Amino acid sequence: MSAFHFLTIFNRLPILLFMAWRNIWRNPVRSVLTISALAGGLVMLILYSALLEGMTRQMVRFATEISTGHIQVQRQAFIEDQDLYATLPWSYIQTLEDKFPDIQIAPRLYAAGLASAENTSTGVLIKAVDPQREALVTQMLSHVRRGELNLATAEMLEDGLARYNLVIGAQLAKNMNLEPGSELVLVTQAADGSIGNALYRIAAILKPLEPGFDRMGVLMSIEAYQQLMYLNDGFHELAIKLDDATQLEDIQAVLDAEIRSLTIAQPLDELGGLPVVRNWRQLTPAIADLLELSTSMVLIVGFIVVGLASMGMLNTMLMAIHERRHEFGVLLAVGMKRRWLLLMVLFESFFLSIVSAVVGSIAGIIASAYLEEHGIDFSASLPDGYDWAGIVFEPVMKGYLEPAHVLNACMLMIVITLIASLIPSWRIVRLKPAEVM
Amino acid sequence: MLTGCSVANNEAISVSPACRLFCVFVFLVCLSLVSFAAKATEIDTLIRHIDELWRGNTSHATMSMSVQTQRYQRSMTMEAWSRGSDYSLVLIRQPVKDRGIATLKVKENIWNYLPKINRVTKVPSSMMSGSWMGSHFTNDDLIKESSFQDDYNSSITFEGERNGRRIYEITSLPKMDAAVVWGKVVMMIEQETLAPYKAIYYDEDGQLMRTMIFDQFKKIDGRTIPMRMSLQPEDKPEESTVIVYQNIAFEVALDDNFFSLQSLRQRR
Repeated sequence: MSAFHFLTIFNRLPILLFMAWRNIWRNPVRSVLTISALAGGLVMLILYSALLEGMTRQMVRFATEISTGHIQVQRQAFIEDQDLYATLPWSYIQTLEDKFPDIQIAPRLYAAGLASAENTSTGVLIKAVDPQREALVTQMLSHVRRGELNLATAEMLEDGLARYNLVIGAQLAKNMNLEPGSELVLVTQAADGSIGNALYRIAAILKPLEPGFDRMGVLMSIEAYQQLMYLNDGFHELAIKLDDATQLEDIQAVLDAEIRSLTIAQPLDELGGLPVVRNWRQLTPAIADLLELSTSMVLIVGFIVVGLASMGMLNTMLMAIHERRHEFGVLLAVGMKRRWLLLMVLFESFFLSIVSAVVGSIAGIIASAYLEEHGIDFSASLPDGYDWAGIVFEPVMKGYLEPAHVLNACMLMIVITLIASLIPSWRIVRLKPAEVM
Repeated sequence: MLTGCSVANNEAISVSPACRLFCVFVFLVCLSLVSFAAKATEIDTLIRHIDELWRGNTSHATMSMSVQTQRYQRSMTMEAWSRGSDYSLVLIRQPVKDRGIATLKVKENIWNYLPKINRVTKVPSSMMSGSWMGSHFTNDDLIKESSFQDDYNSSITFEGERNGRRIYEITSLPKMDAAVVWGKVVMMIEQETLAPYKAIYYDEDGQLMRTMIFDQFKKIDGRTIPMRMSLQPEDKPEESTVIVYQNIAFEVALDDNFFSLQSLRQRR
């Protein structure tokens, strides 16, 4: 019985589809307007998700590739209050490199100090890196705005002391009126309590990486740092880049276990606390949260945009059904089943949304391809980019089109419009042929 | 304060004629004003005495400072000159590594001279809370010393015998709009010698922050001067900074441009 029932529907399907298609074009102006409203909404949605995806990718890139790395290792006391003495032994680098051939690691050292140029002084954050290793882990050293990146010795002074090159943040350079080639004095309290002081040459000025570094960051080589700070026992931070970022959690767990066994084999001093292994999501929780949020944002905005556009659809279908009440009455009177009539009207909405989806996706793909290529350029008003959640963004917002997003947007639109068209279709079910004829 | 209280009491219990009451009242007010004025001069004299104790009009001292922290221990010897509370110059003599580093203070400014690189650097206001020469003293301690009388209201909060010595206890509270580090400073002074022996520093929440102990008293130019100061931060009981004066001379002749940047550079 039910098989027979389905058969009749399948037999009638071509004629229902044909009638639905023809019905759409009985009022071409109205249909085209509806299609353009829906397609417009879809284009908006595709563009929005492309922009958000572009931002997300830029954010992840900035969060990991520019200065943070995928994973960092620091000691508890360093995390809590930048304790100068909370260092990890140098031997860890070799051990970790031997055990994990598919990760890149770079040691870093930090200190607070006072920078003085000719007329100005300001507090700075000294950061020391190993240029060769750092280049394998982050792109920090390639973000040069002016000058030439060089952390080697600038010159040898007559008393046998080396004068080192420094690289500084853009805002700091601006505030202190420094240019590549200027000299800068750093004064700090060295690890042995003495007054560490030395004269440096500015080699380069970096583009904004993160607001803190931009405003007060001074970058030097580890060798220069050790001469200034008398801190040779170890390093403060290990930045790690994975060859395969999808294995983040797994590698983090293995690294954590390995470092724990290292600390058991060779106990560290108590004051500095235990080493802590954190991934970039834990290091920059604001960004990780933002990424979580952006997925649901696309969905919410999608509902709103498509919901609004489908109001047009609702209106079209209401009008179309109202106009054809008489016709529907006749069809019912000659024996057409109500459910087929309902199906036909639903097919009409379906066709409208399919056409809109095709038109909208093509237009959306073209628009986001343009966005992917050129982006939205704010560099006229924001030459240094903008910082958000502690990360500096480039002033050009670039889209990134994920094919799955287009598909999702189309599906979302088709589902919403079909739901919207249920309301007018319901009227047919309650149509009384005697009244409308 | 005590007299103020007794005024209130007298008013309350006195039921005699209004005239008599008025006379008593006027008398007591006068008495309290007089004693207040006396107290005011007393406290001012005391504060000034403490303020000038290590300084006089001009001074020249050699001292040693030893710093004990969880991470390092170091000691250095220094030579210091001062004029009034606005000008001072400190020069490090030992150890060799820091030899020649000099700090010049003129009013609210601090400069350091660094002989290794032959440069003078000014300490910016943002670095004032930083440690001075690796000790538990901050740059701010050097500066605020000169404006202590302007920034704080001091009063004698205890006068009498405590732990077998007759002392004054002076409590200083910051004035309304003063930019200060401490929320309360309490100083204990021996009545006999007018020499301080202890100072306690509280933060703005009333939390005890650090204690300074003065001892090794020595009589110079008729004044009893504590030659040793030990600073003990409250949150790090195993750390301390101790300054010991080897000798100190007052009313020394100093050139007008002694406290200048040129002089800072030339002094080696």
